[in-house]
Amino acid sequence: MSQNRWLATGNFFTSYKQEQRTFFTHLDRTIFTCFLVLLFGWPLVFEISNKYMLVLDNILIAIVAVMGLNLLLGFAGLISIGHAAFVGIGAYTVASVCQVIGENHVIVTHFWPVLIVCAGIMGAIFGAFVGLPALRLKHLYLAIATLSFQMIFEWFIQFMSFFNQGQTIYVGRAHWFTGQVGRSEHYLFWYYIILIIVVVLGFGVRNLLKTKYGRCLVAVRDNDRAADAMGMNPGLTKVYAFALAGFFAGVAGALHAYLYRGVGFDSFTLHHSVAYLAMAIVGGLGTLNGIFWGPVAIKYLDLQVEQFSELAGHYLTYAPNVATALKPLSFGLVIVLFLMYEPRGIANWWRIVKSYTKLWPFRY
Amino acid sequence: MKSKTALIFNALLVIVFVFAFTLPAFAGKTYKLGMSLAITGPTSDAGNPYAKGSEDWFKFVNETDYLGDGDKIDCPIRDDQYKNDITKRFFEEFLDDEILIFLSYATGGNLALKRDFEEVQIPVIPASYHEGLIVDANYTFMPVATYSENAVSLAEYVVDKHKGTDTPKVAFFIHPSAFGRGPLEDTQKAVSLGLGIDIVEVVEHGTDLDNTAMLQRLESKGVQYVICHTVQTPVATMLTDAQRLGVTATSFGEKGKLTFLGAHYTGGSDLIALAGTATEGFIWADSYNLTSENNEGAKKQLELAERYGRDDKAANSHNYGAGILAAQIATEAIKETKKAGLKMTRENIYKTMQTLNFESFAAAGPVTYSPTERIGVDVQNIYVAQDGVFKKIQSFESQYIQKVRASR
Amino acid sequence: MSYFFQIVVSGIVVGSIYALAALGLVLVYKSSRVANFAHGQIIAAGAFITFFLTVRLGVPIFFSFLASMLITFFLAMSVERIFLRRLIGEPIISVIMVTIGLASIFDGLIYLTPFGSENFSFPTFLPTESIVVGGVSISWTQLVGVIITFVLIGCFSWFFKKSTVGISMRAVSDDQFGAMSVGISVPRVFALAWATAGLSAAAAGCIIGNITGLNFETLHAFGIVVFPVVILGGLDSILGAVVAGIIMGLIQQFASGYLDGNFGLNGTGDVMPYIILLIILLFKPHGLFGIHEIERV
Repeated sequence: MSQNRWLATGNFFTSYKQEQRTFFTHLDRTIFTCFLVLLFGWPLVFEISNKYMLVLDNILIAIVAVMGLNLLLGFAGLISIGHAAFVGIGAYTVASVCQVIGENHVIVTHFWPVLIVCAGIMGAIFGAFVGLPALRLKHLYLAIATLSFQMIFEWFIQFMSFFNQGQTIYVGRAHWFTGQVGRSEHYLFWYYIILIIVVVLGFGVRNLLKTKYGRCLVAVRDNDRAADAMGMNPGLTKVYAFALAGFFAGVAGALHAYLYRGVGFDSFTLHHSVAYLAMAIVGGLGTLNGIFWGPVAIKYLDLQVEQFSELAGHYLTYAPNVATALKPLSFGLVIVLFLMYEPRGIANWWRIVKSYTKLWPFRY
Repeated sequence: MKSKTALIFNALLVIVFVFAFTLPAFAGKTYKLGMSLAITGPTSDAGNPYAKGSEDWFKFVNETDYLGDGDKIDCPIRDDQYKNDITKRFFEEFLDDEILIFLSYATGGNLALKRDFEEVQIPVIPASYHEGLIVDANYTFMPVATYSENAVSLAEYVVDKHKGTDTPKVAFFIHPSAFGRGPLEDTQKAVSLGLGIDIVEVVEHGTDLDNTAMLQRLESKGVQYVICHTVQTPVATMLTDAQRLGVTATSFGEKGKLTFLGAHYTGGSDLIALAGTATEGFIWADSYNLTSENNEGAKKQLELAERYGRDDKAANSHNYGAGILAAQIATEAIKETKKAGLKMTRENIYKTMQTLNFESFAAAGPVTYSPTERIGVDVQNIYVAQDGVFKKIQSFESQYIQKVRASR
Repeated sequence: MSYFFQIVVSGIVVGSIYALAALGLVLVYKSSRVANFAHGQIIAAGAFITFFLTVRLGVPIFFSFLASMLITFFLAMSVERIFLRRLIGEPIISVIMVTIGLASIFDGLIYLTPFGSENFSFPTFLPTESIVVGGVSISWTQLVGVIITFVLIGCFSWFFKKSTVGISMRAVSDDQFGAMSVGISVPRVFALAWATAGLSAAAAGCIIGNITGLNFETLHAFGIVVFPVVILGGLDSILGAVVAGIIMGLIQQFASGYLDGNFGLNGTGDVMPYIILLIILLFKPHGLFGIHEIERV
């Protein structure tokens, strides 16, 4: 252990216990706490429009979903092009409860935390089920199997009249101790709820990766046969990785249902699956902080391009087409450029900054 | 001397600046609207000309001082790419901007936001004519007859024109979603209320490259009429297949052949662009006035398109007309509210819209709203495709749709 | 009974178009181990280039067909050179995502043209009646499409089996290091594979465009629809693509011919391929004709 508990310039662990700590230095902990306080505190100081509040909530939900995807793809090395379908499973769990007992039933409006957890479990069950082909399939074949799941999910939702054929199923407003959450505080309320969920799940992931269950994911990613030889069960690990990813996605889906107060199939299409993948990659696969960078970056880009194209629309006569073409163009470019020049994602920049400041002002 | 010139110069500058910044304030008020539709992505073939139509009409209103007193309309048009989540974000943004009327687009997006519309009490003019949008809803003002009305009218038209004494056998060719199934259900209801057709089969299409088998099956079941409710591409594939199989009826209701009919989004110049000569004889129910009619209204639409340099394709599209109509309804609502001397708020706009009545050159009939009715143009034109254009046969108003609505 | 045969014929027609569309994917995967998710966009681009040349510039359709094949040939080649070359040896998810990103870029570029959101159709250059044999009918467009498909597939098979370049491509797909050590330029082979894939995509685009009309959404959807086909056939087998294409075509037509409207089912033609795919993958994880790779620790 270094003498200075505030600044550690290197690895001074003397026991495994020390290595398992969440925060290595006091500085880490302080910065993290300040950041959390900032996240929780700023809405009390600043007034922000509903539009941006919605965007923020959306980013947070995407973070929850990408957490699952990053576990699956980054840590367990299993490709899924059907992540939006798992999110959809979560959302439709809430929706089907609403269909059966009514959207304003007390279970929907008062016991929403229970429903959110149920949605997560439902996602996990479906995840494990869809993960079964992973026992035999690898790489691209697995990717296409998950793509098939996505397609089957979409068809199923659109076909079943129970799911309103993919049209919106309404979900009632949630209640808090102070009574019903009205329209004006709706987005703020969910901001806090989702933020708490993100923090809890974030810690969950962080700790998971320090246990046997987290490490076996990485072992299977690096070489499943080698992992097998070392006494792990790669098949079980893969299914379990899918279930885990399904759980996160399910929670994200339930949150989406409550935030939008309705579930329609077109929030869970192939396009969204691709967007989640993009977020995971731009953030940085197999890193924890990449989970947070990715959704922020992609959604921010989306918003900026939108504003830019509106500006461009004022000056170009051939307006809307040129302006709106920028959106897929920039989305595609970001993915491609990141993969070509920074395959480790934004998390890598973070790592560079961190390792630079660690030794500052000294260099090698 | 020198300082005096400088002083005068400065004073002039100040005056110029003051005028420059205050003049717009004298030049009337600006009313804010908001529009969100799919300019790219699915259904953009309809959304694109629709956006152009609305844009041009609002430009026209502002340039010709249509509202009087130099009042202007400011209507940002956003591309939501047919995604509900984005529509919702735009809607929230528009609400932050305190818009008066929301011009929306897709069926899905409208249904997803239906609750919000009622809650914040904002008048909405959708581009989707899905019947479900006006069920249990007060603030959605449908510009024209609904899809269900189209489908039921076509069924009634079949009953009217069917030669022979037997019950006409009809098949439905619909989009595999609620958009396609809604009108079917309403037609089935009309049938149970006594409409004399026999719905033999319902086909929900996929992305088929070949419809031969399906057409032969319909033939063998003795189907004579196929009512389509979907978008143009699948209809075009089916029509070309029917043409080469030689099963397309040359005259309406020809025995042993298939006559194709379609609702709003199946027809128009886009269908002819896709299917070419196979479109001949296709019957289409729509509440818009087509430029191929060559009447006064058509000329006005073409003039507007020319004024803003639109190409022929956009100018002749009925979706361009649809965009104009939606913009016109919003404009008239503002104009009427202003005329009545009411304050420009959502509430007052809503009040005026309930009794809004005016003639539009883009539509087949007058726009008539009433406190109990939320459909603008009730009249539909029945068009038939002839020599590469759609020609009007007659106007049509459905009888059974009222009964269906009453039974709901 | 003629209904049954009609479905068989339709299935083969649809299937061979799938096979042609799938061919491009297989060609690329065979040599460079890249699954190209932007294939649908190249298909659309090929169709629109042909349309542009024929209708706007008045080139006879046969020449514009060839010209568009040539253009997509170089288009796909440059895509490989600019984007994919750098990713040789990267993990498979990176490669998949790059092609997904490329698809998005192509989307954006096509939206810049009028083709992105409008409908067009090719001028008719074949008789519009159909050929009827014993109650089973097939259109000229479809027949010509099928013939072109099989001619092209025949050419490609010959090319791979007999020509020097084809053999070097096969060598690369078999063992890159081995191929390099006998003097084959691996990057050149990759470029060529992409280029031929582009060529076949243009052909597929023209044929599909002639059948469905030209609508960007419909055309680029084929890039996804053919995935079950290539996976079923095994990703690296041309024969597999043809057989799987026809199997999928038959499955679709039989599903929509016999399942739709019965048992309260509808639109099964679209979902059936994916269900069958999942089932087959459970039993044959490398498709029908795919090579089972031996993995070592």
